[in-house]
Amino acid sequence: MKYIIAKHIGFLVDIDKRFRYIILLPIILNFNSALLAQDTRIRGFMDVGMNFEDDQLNFDLGEYDLFITSDLNDRLTFLGETVFRYDLDVDAFEVSVERVVIKYNYKGNHSLLIGKHHTPINYWNDSYHHGRVFFPTVERPHLFQHSILPIHTTGISLQGQNLGKLRFGYDLMLGNGIGSTDLKDNDKFKSITAAVHIKPIDNMRIGASYYSDVISEGAQIHGQLIDEQINQQLFTASIAYFGRRFEVLAEGTLSVNKASSTGSVNSSASYLYAGYRVNEKLVPYFRIDNLDFREEELYYDNRDTTAFVTGLRYEINYLAVVKLEYQYDHMGGMDSLNRLNFQIAIGF
Amino acid sequence: MKQTIFKYILTLMIGLLWASSVNAQDDQLVVIGNPESVPSELDLQQLRSILKGEKLRWNDGSQVVIALMKTNTTIGNHTSKRLYNMTGNELNKYFLALVFQGKVKAPTFFNSTDELATYVSQTPGAIGVLQNPNEKVLKIILVDGKKQI
Repeated sequence: MKYIIAKHIGFLVDIDKRFRYIILLPIILNFNSALLAQDTRIRGFMDVGMNFEDDQLNFDLGEYDLFITSDLNDRLTFLGETVFRYDLDVDAFEVSVERVVIKYNYKGNHSLLIGKHHTPINYWNDSYHHGRVFFPTVERPHLFQHSILPIHTTGISLQGQNLGKLRFGYDLMLGNGIGSTDLKDNDKFKSITAAVHIKPIDNMRIGASYYSDVISEGAQIHGQLIDEQINQQLFTASIAYFGRRFEVLAEGTLSVNKASSTGSVNSSASYLYAGYRVNEKLVPYFRIDNLDFREEELYYDNRDTTAFVTGLRYEINYLAVVKLEYQYDHMGGMDSLNRLNFQIAIGF
Repeated sequence: MKQTIFKYILTLMIGLLWASSVNAQDDQLVVIGNPESVPSELDLQQLRSILKGEKLRWNDGSQVVIALMKTNTTIGNHTSKRLYNMTGNELNKYFLALVFQGKVKAPTFFNSTDELATYVSQTPGAIGVLQNPNEKVLKIILVDGKKQI
């Protein structure tokens, strides 16, 4: 490395050889020390697949996830995640900055984070989000659709992890609320997320969270105009266990949306995933989803949903996973969906 | 005749016992640490927790830096099984998931024990796992009071 740098820079400087190397030495040493001081790693995740639906076979390109981490010093780190994906609405690929997090580990296992985060509202969102090679199923549960969860928050948070014998963890986050952009909040109200979890045994995590925000009148949420102010509270509980043989992940969210015209309206969303590891590579699994909305609900699309997936996951290694899955969705006001999904998800 | 058979069986059993004891010695792992920050003694539970990235800082506030042999090496494979209770593949998946969540810095993995030993000796807060390290140069961490585990 040093030789290459010296050689290239050396050609640009037409001076006596002896002086050339004296001049180059500090440049080389500086470059080298900069390399040693900053540890930057670039990784990626990608998935491709196909599905069979309505007597038609379709090939699909999933998300192309560029993931960068960098240690700026022994306390300050950076994490960036950018996703390239095809957007049906604009009929083209779009670039989405999913995470930009600067983390300062101020003491022990306690850190301060600022930037755009995955809202630490439940296990799936905190653990997988765009890394489909980690997903136990082909796609996310329905809980992540219908705008039930605010999956991203731009803001600031305090985080603690693996504290005490129960390996207690917490996240306290203040952010731009629902309806705002990554540049500016759309109102004076801030979202608050408070999440706690414990890991009483290896491979198990039990967690609960609370989310609160005021969604202002006139806010645009995924193309839908909110015409009345809504005070939203979300209560979430989750349990995850990924052991040697059995895998269980169950999460539920109770949403309380309060508006002046409707009063408090409760809706709920949940799913249960279970898998059995036959050997190191093969895991048959199933997942059941349920979404239950009240008719008076102003904020959601109110499509009660029952869904079921069952499939086989074959883990070639930790960087390549193949899944074959049958999916059935029954969504209110829509035809039932019967689909066969196949996916190869990789990390690199 | 019976005595001869008995002698052969006895010799065979002694041979097998010797071979297994040699193998067991070969499998012994030694934990090394940088002289700065890393304590001289840990219990096995503490060690496992540290190696899993559950402790970000040593008691003096310096960063915990984990150094391991690559999981496809013999030592790396033994380390995965004995200290993490995982296969090499599971260990790689475990750390990739934690890095993706932004929770920990991944261990630094090495192909050669010399590289690992040099890295640990030169990196403040570094802790690593080896076999048969050069005791004169490196700080060996006692685990449950023992040099080898």
